[in-house]
Amino acid sequence: MFVHNFKYSLKTLFRNKTLIFWTFAFPIILGTFFNMAFSNIENSEKLDIINIAIVNNENFDKNEILKEAFKELSDENNEDRLFNTKYVNIDEAKALLSDGDITGYLNIVEEQPKVTITTNGINETVFKFVTEEIMQQTGIVNDIATEQIKNEMISGNINIDYKKIYKDAFEIAQNQEAKIENISSNNLSYTMIEFYTLIAMACLYGGMLGMTAINQNLANMSSNGKRISVSPTNKAKVILSSVLASYITALIGLAILFIYTIVALKVDYGNNSPLIILLSCIGSLAGLTMGMAIATCLKASENTKTGIVISITMLGCFLSGMMGITMKYIVDKNIPIINKVNPANMITDGFYSLYYYETLERYFFNIISLLIFSIIMIFLSYISLRRQRYESL
Amino acid sequence: MAVFKTFLKIVNRNKFIIILYTVILITFAGFNMQTNDTSTSFVASKPDILIINKDENTGITNNLIKYIQNNSNIIDIEQSEEAINDALFYRDVNYIIYIPENYRQDFMNDLNPKIEIKSTGDYQASLAEMMLSRYIKVANTYKKDLNNEEDLIKRINETLEKEAKIEVTSKLDSDSLSRATFYYNFLNYSIIAGLVYIICLILSSFREEKIRKRTIISSMNYKKFNRQLLISNGILAIILWIFYVILSFILIGDIMFTKHGLILIANSFAFSICSLTIAFLIGNLINNKNAINGIINVIGLGSSFLCGAFVPVEWLPDSILKIAHILPSYWYIQSNEIIKTIEVVNIETLKPIFINISVIILFSVGYIILTNIITKNKRKIA
Repeated sequence: MFVHNFKYSLKTLFRNKTLIFWTFAFPIILGTFFNMAFSNIENSEKLDIINIAIVNNENFDKNEILKEAFKELSDENNEDRLFNTKYVNIDEAKALLSDGDITGYLNIVEEQPKVTITTNGINETVFKFVTEEIMQQTGIVNDIATEQIKNEMISGNINIDYKKIYKDAFEIAQNQEAKIENISSNNLSYTMIEFYTLIAMACLYGGMLGMTAINQNLANMSSNGKRISVSPTNKAKVILSSVLASYITALIGLAILFIYTIVALKVDYGNNSPLIILLSCIGSLAGLTMGMAIATCLKASENTKTGIVISITMLGCFLSGMMGITMKYIVDKNIPIINKVNPANMITDGFYSLYYYETLERYFFNIISLLIFSIIMIFLSYISLRRQRYESL
Repeated sequence: MAVFKTFLKIVNRNKFIIILYTVILITFAGFNMQTNDTSTSFVASKPDILIINKDENTGITNNLIKYIQNNSNIIDIEQSEEAINDALFYRDVNYIIYIPENYRQDFMNDLNPKIEIKSTGDYQASLAEMMLSRYIKVANTYKKDLNNEEDLIKRINETLEKEAKIEVTSKLDSDSLSRATFYYNFLNYSIIAGLVYIICLILSSFREEKIRKRTIISSMNYKKFNRQLLISNGILAIILWIFYVILSFILIGDIMFTKHGLILIANSFAFSICSLTIAFLIGNLINNKNAINGIINVIGLGSSFLCGAFVPVEWLPDSILKIAHILPSYWYIQSNEIIKTIEVVNIETLKPIFINISVIILFSVGYIILTNIITKNKRKIA
């Protein structure tokens, strides 16, 4: 009986096109969209080479330090290249700026550098910052050189080599090293969260599978259910085999999604495959049991139940960052209790902790939360499934 | 009138969906439109920095912290390493500076102590790193000749205070304009997911087999029936569009009353009409309500992601944008983006927008023709 019902549950589930679309195809389609939209975000957030112009007048020509510095910062072979500099006259600079070809231009007016830009922004800030840095450096060089000249004069040296002193001073200012060490994790790609919420969504949509399978066995939901109810079989066997069939269907869907995201979309789940598989299996279980609980506890039409599963899933995914990654952070930080009971977030956060953290405490906290959630759901379904009797239907 | 009454009944039954999508729009839009101060003078971008100071807060250490504070937004986070790591991952801070123990002493003893940092690697973080290394380099340079801490601090600050003159030429209120553009770009999703979905749902109710049979044998001419259906759907589309526009006035405010705002509104109207024709096409093509939900979701999300309704257009890969040309959403969003950059509104500057709107209208005509071809073949019920 177990095998028989298992086989047919599996068949009916796979023949339900709408169901298969939402649980199998939709996450894949959504994932593809995510990939298209987000694949470039993190690169765009890196500091690009900034297009600027410098008004090439007499004043600029005289200012050796400024000239050298911008030349070096615009050098194509320089690893720390910041600018792509055009040397033009003032009218050309104005034209370039109003066409939006450059971020801004530098003009030296009365020995003072003046930066002209059209709007506020990061590139503008960097341009201004670097100009100031060069000015400051000029100041430092002058300071050091003056000091040096003073010393030489005091010591009675008449043949002062001004050029050499300035050159040395410039070198001193140039060759300072700031010892800064970056100790952040390499796994900082926050768009990964989108894909983790996608897995979470797929897991919870598995609830629809569980629900459909259970509905087939409920006398108040389908004629099939009435037939099963009057048959002299062990109800536990029937229900368990249906649930197992839907669990396996859900896992197959999830496996396809995983393969697709890893192979085609290059999603990084971290390196710990057994733990990734464990999390997906338990996450899927949570989704399935949630669907079961909704199917058994509520006396409503199938459409309403599906609507409830979808709404809960989408709300959960929204709170765990699917529609805006910051949402997860805001909730985690300000009202953590919401995300502690949100199964979508338990799954997302589990993947996140595998990806970003080196320790596993947070991961196992999520696994245990998911298990507790599943047990509660199973308990709820158990209470409402046992000793069901209908006087009339 | 009979058609219109039935129509209203169905709208009433689906009011939940209409409200749901509108609420999603408001929450989304609200999230991304927190007001910024607008001004035409220069405001430097400030990275979000967290400083964890393990040294005592005096002397050179204190001065470093002050310098960073003046040039960045200092973020205050609960001092647990997990909270800090989370904040970095979700870009709540761009840059974390760990000042080591005895930094001040080591620095004064010419040891050039190492500072550990955590960085998101984006442009804000790059700017933060420029600041930090700038300070250290200046401090190191002066340290060579000065051993008195007070003099040293004074010298450092004098140097770092030097500012370049800056002139901002544009008088465009770019901040609120980009907020308006964001809202109207997002409307792409709301219009497709909301408007198109609702209309398809209503159409599919009219196309249920029993109801269709009943309509066909009734005395009402089918042309009249179709016309009434089209008008009622058009009215619904316009009502929803007006609602979205009113919402934009509430959320964005002043800028909507300018010429720029007017163009945004006109553009969205053209797109609403185009969506209406899309809705008619899909509604006539597919009768299964569940399938409609799936298709609309795919079209709505797909066009929004591909054309830059959710993610700013300039961040999308070029290849994706090329594909996007085949969707009306692309032309709609492009117009919005152009409006953002127009300084003087005149015929010349508006030309690309007119072209885009014409393309949208062409799309609409195409959809209408397609719908007619399809319905012609489907009119008879066997």
